[in-house]
Amino acid sequence: MKITDLANTLTFLCLFGAKFAVAQDISIERGEQTYMRVGCYECHGTDGKGNEAGPPLTPDTLPPEAIANFVRFSPGRMPVYPEEILSDAEIADIVAYLESVKPSPDADSIDILRALVSEEN
Amino acid sequence: MVSSPEKSKSEVGRRNFLKTAVVAGAATTLPDEVSAADSPTQAIKSDAQTKRGLAAPSTEQMNMEASTPDQLAEASSEQLASSNSADTASSFGSDFMIDVMKSLDLDYVFSNPGSSFLGLHESITVYGGNSKPEFITCMHEESAAAMANGYYKAALKPAAIMCHGTVGLQHAAMNIYNAWCDRVPLIAILGNTIDAADRMGGTTWRHSAQDPAAMVRDFTKWDDQPASLQAFAESMVRGWKISTTPPMEPIALTVDSTLQEMKVDDRDGLAIPKFTPSEPPQGERGAVRETAGLLVDAESPVIIADRLARTPEGMSLLVELAELLNAPVIDIASRQNMPTKHYLNQTRQSGRLISQADLILGLEVTDFWGQINSVNRAEMTSEPRVKEGVKLITISVNDLYMKSNYQDFQRYAPVDISISGDAEATLPVLIEEVKEAMSRSRRRTLSQKEKMFRKMHADSFEESRQLAASGWNSSPVSTARMCMELYEQIKTEDWALVSVGASERFVSSWPHRLWDIDEHYRYLGIGAGGGVGYGLPAAVGAALANKELGRFSVNIQCDGDFMYANGALWTAAHHRIPLLTVMHNNRAYAQETMLVQGTANRRKRGVDKAPIGTVIQDPNIDYAKLAEGMGVWSAGPIEDPEDLRPALIDAVKVVKSGYPALVDVVTQMR
Ligand code: HEC
Repeated sequence: MKITDLANTLTFLCLFGAKFAVAQDISIERGEQTYMRVGCYECHGTDGKGNEAGPPLTPDTLPPEAIANFVRFSPGRMPVYPEEILSDAEIADIVAYLESVKPSPDADSIDILRALVSEEN
Repeated sequence: MVSSPEKSKSEVGRRNFLKTAVVAGAATTLPDEVSAADSPTQAIKSDAQTKRGLAAPSTEQMNMEASTPDQLAEASSEQLASSNSADTASSFGSDFMIDVMKSLDLDYVFSNPGSSFLGLHESITVYGGNSKPEFITCMHEESAAAMANGYYKAALKPAAIMCHGTVGLQHAAMNIYNAWCDRVPLIAILGNTIDAADRMGGTTWRHSAQDPAAMVRDFTKWDDQPASLQAFAESMVRGWKISTTPPMEPIALTVDSTLQEMKVDDRDGLAIPKFTPSEPPQGERGAVRETAGLLVDAESPVIIADRLARTPEGMSLLVELAELLNAPVIDIASRQNMPTKHYLNQTRQSGRLISQADLILGLEVTDFWGQINSVNRAEMTSEPRVKEGVKLITISVNDLYMKSNYQDFQRYAPVDISISGDAEATLPVLIEEVKEAMSRSRRRTLSQKEKMFRKMHADSFEESRQLAASGWNSSPVSTARMCMELYEQIKTEDWALVSVGASERFVSSWPHRLWDIDEHYRYLGIGAGGGVGYGLPAAVGAALANKELGRFSVNIQCDGDFMYANGALWTAAHHRIPLLTVMHNNRAYAQETMLVQGTANRRKRGVDKAPIGTVIQDPNIDYAKLAEGMGVWSAGPIEDPEDLRPALIDAVKVVKSGYPALVDVVTQMR
């Protein structure tokens, strides 16, 4: 297990208790594999950065319980993933993966996007 | 009786022709040399490639194909004819047909050669001097139809396609349907051999039909199979008129091969009728006045525009109307109706605005029902998204013409006032009536909304700008990064986004969210029938129009769509059509991946199989190589977003030197 895995795991354990994580169960790598395998990437991007088909899932990734609740019961445009096809443990892995993703630069630090501000005003 | 050209004239003609051929030859070789020397990009990659791709043309090709329109005009049709075979003294039925086309100022015939229109083919190139119309070599009739569609939307002038009435039309059918759904005029000329006694053997029989146009009758506005040359002239002019009168639609004209070959002894006995364009139908004044009164009194009116702006005038009128009322506009943008940076362009707020509106005015909206209802596709349910008591008004030509079989007329929308008339033609009257109905104090009250809408516009723009940063450094490249790097390189040109394929949502609508789309011609809408194989050829057709108009054409090209019709790239190379194509290469029919995913989730029997049949991987397709193979400058596949900018800078140089270029970007799904 990588250091970041461990750190994430500890965070989960502190915050959400046993339902979603026991230390050895959580893996960023497995989280990425699951995220890709079950198709989250199709709508949210390979690293959860979002687009018009699905909102960004990172940064500020929701806690696993909230994500589980959303993916199982979302009444909106997103296809639901019932527990039979996506377990709590898999969701915890996905969350760990999303939390491990490097943050994007700020819009104002990107020349092209900064230039748009003067264009709009 | 058509006499052969006078001898002296023909000699001068021959001399001119030879001179022209020399110039044309020089013109053919010049661009390669110039670009190799002038443009580092050509030197980097495409020098050898261009030479390989654009193989040295034969003398005949130089004479005919590589000549500029001016050079060809110089070598007039009689001169060209006189320098040809012994048969030049005769005039053929197809020559007269070209005269008719010239009278209509037809610029281009997009076609793939076929034996049922040999006469016309020869008359275009030899008798007509391959100018007005010029024969544009297409690698598929479907591409030809999409090119004519794209050409119209950029030039605002119809083009023709020419194909066998059988197999060629079968190929062309899907993109004729796209044009039909897009309300685009298009002249489909179908070769056929009507008289069975004239059919020489197997292929002629296979390529003949009793009624070729039957195949596309459900999605063409009119068709005919004229039995004489005089009837051809009238049908061609009539068809042109019908096709270009709103609701504009394709028409089909079956042209008998025997008629094409017919010797014409009495050319003066044939008349070409005068073409007078029909004034588009205008909405009834009383209903327009009532609408104006309601608009002025409404507290929260919303204007929805779809195919309103047939011409740039439509955009100016919409801006004027919206500003008079300070009413927000939702631009569905099958044509660019409203400048994206205008504070009343509130397209991103459509859900909220529509649900709060007390009046909704739909201008040439094909699916008005879809705007005022929300649907849950998976659950197959729908519910109104408007509040009770909302006044619904439509101005459109939707009811003036439609056919039953194909269902693109969409679900019936009950409304309060339905005005049958062309919306662009009706807006001047509506604006006049709004001015009339508007008191000074009402105008003052309405003007107070401006501040709020400016803020909403700015907030929505800022939200998009922030979102565009998300995944800026991702690989595969985010669609935001791809679109914005592209915009950065073209924004100082007189650019036109000529195609985004079947939906701009495939690239998360970044152009409409963040680009300054301030002119009607900067965005041409989508492949309206949703048939795949529209994007690239439509872009090539539009770029051909823009070449003359001095505009820089850009095409955002989905990979799935590309593989339907990639031969269109060769057409761009062959005809020196400057076009920057940026591949949105997400290696999938991504829309379908998502839809299959949704279905699988609903059925709960496994959710990991959605990529089967929907991804384009193993092997990955190398689009740059494909382009290179067709003589098109290319770069990619680009996976690291940092490589995007230098490639685009090079590509822009190539396009500005008059050639097509393709940059393959490996992207996120959306
Ligand atoms: C077919 C497209 C699609 C797929 C596949 C998909 N999502 Fe979504 N997701 C959406 C959309 C659309 C929304 C926005 C839903 C809405 O607004 O109703 C969303 C919303 C969410 C949200 C709520 C985000 C927020 O901030 O409100 C989460 C969490 C989420 N998705 C996680 C996932 C995970 C985890 C997976 C894979 C197991 C997944 N999604 C697969 C389309 C998708």
